[in-house]
Amino acid sequence: MQGQGPGYPGGYGQPGPLSSGGQMAGGGPIQGGPMPGGSPPPASGPMPGGGPLHSGGPRPNDGSRVIPMVDARDVHKSFHHNEVLRGISMQIWRQEVVVLLGPSGSGKTTFLRCINHLEKINHGRIYVDGELIGYRELPNGELREDSEANIARKRAELGMVFQRFNLFPHLTALQNITEAPIRVRGVPRAQAEARARELLAKVGLADKADAYPNRLSGGQQQRVAIARALAMDPKLMLFDEPTSALDPELVGEVLKVMRQLAEEGMTMVVVTHEMGFAREVADRAIFIDGGVIVEQGRPTEMFANPREERTRAFLRKIL
Amino acid sequence: MCTTTPFLDQLCQIVTLGGHFRWSAVGTYLFNPYIVETIWLVIGLAILAQVFGTLIGLLLYFMRRTRFAASRWAANAYIWFFRGTPLLVQIYLVSYGINYIGLDPPLRAINFFPAIGYSQVQMYFFVAALLALSWNEGAYMAEIVRAGIDSIDPGQLEAARSLGMTYFVAMRRIVLPQAARTIVPPLGNEFNGMLKNTSLASVIGLTELLQTSINIGNALFLQLELFVVASFWYLMMTTVWTAIQAYIERKLNVSVTDFGPGQGSWTQRLLGFGRRGPVAVAGAGGINVPADRGAR
Repeated sequence: MQGQGPGYPGGYGQPGPLSSGGQMAGGGPIQGGPMPGGSPPPASGPMPGGGPLHSGGPRPNDGSRVIPMVDARDVHKSFHHNEVLRGISMQIWRQEVVVLLGPSGSGKTTFLRCINHLEKINHGRIYVDGELIGYRELPNGELREDSEANIARKRAELGMVFQRFNLFPHLTALQNITEAPIRVRGVPRAQAEARARELLAKVGLADKADAYPNRLSGGQQQRVAIARALAMDPKLMLFDEPTSALDPELVGEVLKVMRQLAEEGMTMVVVTHEMGFAREVADRAIFIDGGVIVEQGRPTEMFANPREERTRAFLRKIL
Repeated sequence: MCTTTPFLDQLCQIVTLGGHFRWSAVGTYLFNPYIVETIWLVIGLAILAQVFGTLIGLLLYFMRRTRFAASRWAANAYIWFFRGTPLLVQIYLVSYGINYIGLDPPLRAINFFPAIGYSQVQMYFFVAALLALSWNEGAYMAEIVRAGIDSIDPGQLEAARSLGMTYFVAMRRIVLPQAARTIVPPLGNEFNGMLKNTSLASVIGLTELLQTSINIGNALFLQLELFVVASFWYLMMTTVWTAIQAYIERKLNVSVTDFGPGQGSWTQRLLGFGRRGPVAVAGAGGINVPADRGAR
């Protein structure tokens, strides 16, 4: 794994007097520039500002002051005695589109859910945009689960799209989208509704604002769910098998919206079995099996010439 | 007293219990002001007890869902006790308990019932009945609330939390409004029972509908007639409530039951027939419905 370059990780290990309240306030002498959540990254190094990015592979960390959007370190997770994640480490860079592949039960969905702390982790750390997710570090280096308010505040900056949409059935499409901005961010209703209509237009559902979810097809529901996540202006979007519950003819409309997001420079982590999407849109594919990363690389290269036997066996079945 | 026509006479003998039952007395006392005024007392007591009971039920739900063992244990012990002892005994316990801990004098001091026209009603009895009824109701509501909330797809809470809502915001805005649809029908039945259970408060001397009927009946030696009067008013209250309940349930369902089976009119509900079936909720369940079917 790359990303262990000079300057970056050291700052997190030792909570200096400045890193209080869960905010990375200039964590170390080497990391110049402010980088609390929400501020744009220092524009330097290999991070072009916007536009489609298809350089492929992990961004080289050439010592530039870039913090990864997601930095997972040795993440372990067990359900009872079943160890689902056995030490996953990865960095996901700004504007990168990463697909997680793997057989069912490999832990890819669990890992995705750990990124916004819907699952607690048993060991390791996950930083999102420089902030530890779900936990706070005590002076002695131990981790304690973070306060509910802190976890919620960090989650608000991450969008998540679920396999089963999970739209709120008692609210219209528009209300589904405005609920969180109004309740969490305190956005005035009129403003939230204007933004929601923009987002509905963006996902091609401008005429469905007042429809309840059970009046929408699966593909339409999933597009509303994407708009709902985008309404919080997330810096990272997590997709958990977004097309798996859809009828085949409805998959395309959802992938089209996701492709558009990728082209706009959204950082995306996608668990999917859509190999076409992975090949054409993703910068990097990560193959997970048995709770560990088996192989990763540019999707085109990995699909054509998998290095590992397990990857080859999986791809043979799915391609 | 009855007629001389043989057939009518037999019928008359039956409905007057052999000439002993005086229907005229029922007619006289049905709208007796002392009886009628207690109806509002009963309704007020039942509503207050139901509101407090529901709040206690919600509180017990959250107490049982924390990671603190002591809190879960306390909630379970509470439910165990209040579901395991008769309501009548609980009313005695609370009434005498209030007396023993000395709350009786202060409650007598703030007795405002005479001021609003209830000269016979004592604050002390009213509070004892209210506490016992709400505490008892809380134990039953805890189960109903639990069933309602647990029936909601956990994905709803996850989706809400992934959007940055805290647990309580997600509960209040997302989960409880949906759970309400499951909770309201049994809640309505509980309130129906509550209206009738207020009559148990007569044993501690609260002059509600039953106790007033007993008092009048004893004074005039018309006990059975006055029990019929009381029954009539309890029946009226529960009947009106059933209609209101059906209306509330229809209101709650209208936003999410677009092509579910018909809910039945309130007359159908009242008489116990008319089709009621499960309500289709897509969204959570992910039922795919073609878009063109959705056109209003």
